[in-house]
Amino acid sequence: MFSPAGGVELLIEGSPIPASADLARMRRARGERLQTELESQGLDGLVLLGTSAVAYATGARLPGLDSGRAALVRPVAVVIRGEARPQLFTPFPGGAPPELPEDRVHGGVVADTEEGAADLVDMLHAWFPAGARLGADELSHPLAAALSDWDVVSASAVMGASKLRKTPDEVACIRTAQRINEMAMSTVVGELRPGLRQVDLTATFLRRIHELGATSNGIDPIWQVMPPSRGDGPWTTHGDIAFPTSTSDRFLREGDVIWVDTGIHYEGYASDFGRTWLVGADPRPTERQRRQFERWTTVVDAVRAGCKPGVSALELGRAAISANGGTKPWIDHFYLGHGVGTDSAEMPLVGTDLGERFDERLVMQPGMVLVLEPVIWDEGASGYRAEDVLVITDDGWAPLSDHDYWPFDSTPAAAP
Amino acid sequence: MTSVGSRLGVGARPEGGGVDFDRLRADRRRRVFDAMAAADLDALVLGRPANVAFVSGARQLWTAGARPFGPTCVVVAGTARVHLLSVWDEGVPPEIEHADLYGLSWNPANLLRSLSGISGLQAARRVGTDGLSPGFPQFLAAAAPSAEIVDATTALRSVRDVKSADEIACIATAAAIAESALATMMSALRPGVSERELVARYVEHISRLGAPTPPSEAAVSVTPRRGRVDPPGVASSRTAAGGDLVVLDPGAMYAGYEAGMGRTSLVPGGHQRSRQAELLERARRQLAAVVASCRPGATGADVRAAWADAGGTLAPMPIVHGLGLGAEAPVVTSMLGSDEVLRAGMVVSAQVWVTEEGIGGCLERDTVLVDDGGPVALTRSARDSAMSSS
Repeated sequence: MFSPAGGVELLIEGSPIPASADLARMRRARGERLQTELESQGLDGLVLLGTSAVAYATGARLPGLDSGRAALVRPVAVVIRGEARPQLFTPFPGGAPPELPEDRVHGGVVADTEEGAADLVDMLHAWFPAGARLGADELSHPLAAALSDWDVVSASAVMGASKLRKTPDEVACIRTAQRINEMAMSTVVGELRPGLRQVDLTATFLRRIHELGATSNGIDPIWQVMPPSRGDGPWTTHGDIAFPTSTSDRFLREGDVIWVDTGIHYEGYASDFGRTWLVGADPRPTERQRRQFERWTTVVDAVRAGCKPGVSALELGRAAISANGGTKPWIDHFYLGHGVGTDSAEMPLVGTDLGERFDERLVMQPGMVLVLEPVIWDEGASGYRAEDVLVITDDGWAPLSDHDYWPFDSTPAAAP
Repeated sequence: MTSVGSRLGVGARPEGGGVDFDRLRADRRRRVFDAMAAADLDALVLGRPANVAFVSGARQLWTAGARPFGPTCVVVAGTARVHLLSVWDEGVPPEIEHADLYGLSWNPANLLRSLSGISGLQAARRVGTDGLSPGFPQFLAAAAPSAEIVDATTALRSVRDVKSADEIACIATAAAIAESALATMMSALRPGVSERELVARYVEHISRLGAPTPPSEAAVSVTPRRGRVDPPGVASSRTAAGGDLVVLDPGAMYAGYEAGMGRTSLVPGGHQRSRQAELLERARRQLAAVVASCRPGATGADVRAAWADAGGTLAPMPIVHGLGLGAEAPVVTSMLGSDEVLRAGMVVSAQVWVTEEGIGGCLERDTVLVDDGGPVALTRSARDSAMSSS
């Protein structure tokens, strides 16, 4: 069992979080949740085109693809009410889960042409009578037109309700994704020195995640050099700092403060790694930088202290603001924290522009996963940002990330 | 065809003469506005990253997988302006001004407020989009009450299909990066190497060359000599043994433009060499036939017939698809795309897959410019070296 607190079993709705996921059990549990939501929301099925939604509904393993390629010949999931197993359309048949019968695995869908949309819709006719109520996430124009025999509504309520609370197996996948991500970042930080370019760090990171068994990369890794003051950074629509900006061949130089942010997928589940690193021959934080880090720790500790079932997102946000002396410790266009699952940022979102009333009604429940990413901005001396991942358990929370805060707390662990 | 050889590098040069990105962006933007006029579109609302990149020229944060449709970019014909969802101006070209940027919102009401501030959208009659979601028509109705939503795919294809000389130079540069990646992967190919190690080599190499986003991580398959053989997918810990056919299929992106090439090699050592060499020869013949068919005016049916005449029977992936700002239309598979027509100036990925149980599988792929005089392969390799040296 996974028990970082030292022998104490961590439970989600009475079930322990396993050290590694039982993938078949996980897929079965997700299928049951989707069926429960279809039933309670009165839908007859789902037609899902979104990459993360297909991964959730089918368990299909998909390589990391550029968005154009991912939309050209699409993976599609069709969930039929009353049938435990989905229909999977995929250009990667080798990634279909082993328990899915071959007659439920089909080629990928060319959804952008009338011909391709018609092919998919021909099959839907065999599964759904005219007039059936289908949930969809994403449609091409030809597909929208070809679906006119059915009542097509948004799938987001079904998907949202199913994904919000993770099963213990899902939590184990997130934990594994996070561990691969952390190990890769340990290798990268071991190589960090002035004179490298951002893309050099990316090279090492991408090599390591594949060696370590990531299913795919999730995002072009961020190694953003932070300016001392907001005015020294890029212009922004809101006047707050710009983050995260894209990586290039920018050189990293002595004294640079970099905010790193990387994410990978393992069996469909995303990790999220954020830290502040210093570039230098012998990088040591100044007193002022050390205080930024202490402030960040204070904020995160205050939020974690409040993390348990029944607490609202609004209360967590207020705990963070209070620990930061009354100032909101996160970037204007983001959040204090966000969920992670088959999407790298999903519900629960804490502290967004959805507003206080939304946050007040968003109550923590066992199985919710939170990536906490407060930002301590110290105008004139840049700032500290890091991300840590936790899961709400039956009686509190448990960490899903386990990584040092080099060079703010200690020397880095030896690279594996 | 314009010669692109002297431009094949990723760095700027003091004398100029590399890809002129200012010219490239201005040309793309002009083509989009012309196409909007031709299709009687008052506005475009775009969500696909490649379409957004095409019209805006912005360097966007790369994430894996298809992006959910949403209004990332709004193009207004009447004002000739391109509006972009971007909180900051880094990565945004100068022709898009601060006033043209709108911020990230989690709250649809705030996004709607941003769109409502875009001059000319409110009065639009015909708005073209490159995708839909079930709630989008109602959402857009609030920002553009009198607008009819139409499919912008045809208009966008009309500007993206045929490449300018600058675009071809970008694709050729991506081709050179892919070739470099293939060489690195081939040098690592030996008994005992795993799919994961080969993919790791690949992504590390393209990152060091400054092009860290692979078009696809499905770039390796150590094809088994027993049981079902699948084309490349998620890399596994399966290792190559002497006599295995191993598919190496790297791509690369330069300034958003994609190229790629696939080659299958026989791992030195082991048995059954002649049967595997014969399978590989079949794949090469098929690819040569497909490439030769990529002429201006050829239809999807023509390409498929050329492939079938050369013995093609199995196509789990397109036989031909377009390349530009990533993989794009047209798509010709063993079933679909008969009526697609190749035009001079298109660039396509031509690929074949042959497999036989007990032997393995072969994927061969080239990036091909459909030129006035006939097909021109933009990817090159000493394609027989692995066979002759093993």
